[in-house]
Amino acid sequence: MSRRMKLILAAGIGLGAMLGTTTAYAMLQDASAQLRASGQVGEQADGYLGLVGSAPAGVRSQVDSVNIKRRAYYTDLAAKRGAKIEEVAATTACELFRTKVGAGQYYRLPDGVWRQRDGGTPIPLPSYCG
Amino acid sequence: MKRSLLTLMRCDSTQGTMRRMNILLAVPVVLGSAGCVQVSAPEKPIEINLNINIRQEVVVRLQQDVRDLIKENPGVF
Repeated sequence: MSRRMKLILAAGIGLGAMLGTTTAYAMLQDASAQLRASGQVGEQADGYLGLVGSAPAGVRSQVDSVNIKRRAYYTDLAAKRGAKIEEVAATTACELFRTKVGAGQYYRLPDGVWRQRDGGTPIPLPSYCG
Repeated sequence: MKRSLLTLMRCDSTQGTMRRMNILLAVPVVLGSAGCVQVSAPEKPIEINLNINIRQEVVVRLQQDVRDLIKENPGVF
């Protein structure tokens, strides 16, 4: 193999790796929105995504992956503000209930029951949400 | 004897090329992964506890930070 060919091959592989990273990043951009829209996953009052019913392993691993990242962000913000992780997480849930759960999507309040959001009405928020 | 020496030499030169190829291949992979955000798993498992006991003043204090957090991480929230 000539030196030139090796260079071309290496450049091609490099470009492929970069494209792969970009595609993975683009998919991550709305991972939790897609999960909520699937109807298999909903937002919980504890600030994490939950499985509405028995979901396939692929969905479960995506939910775990999102929740691990959430936990890391909550931990970070809690340390910065001298708050508990659960407090940051619950505050986030209030905000997600307000802004991210769309019509027909699922949510779970502290009573533990999964409900589907109606088109027009906002989600009845827990009293601590303010 | 002469022949086996030749084979040996050929083998050596191929290995040298392979080694250089490996280095060439490794560079873009390292460059590609440098752009990723590394998020490591927490040591403790995530406990899902919906019995939340929180004061409203804490929520109000954290609200703006949480809004920023959601806005900056659209894939996670």
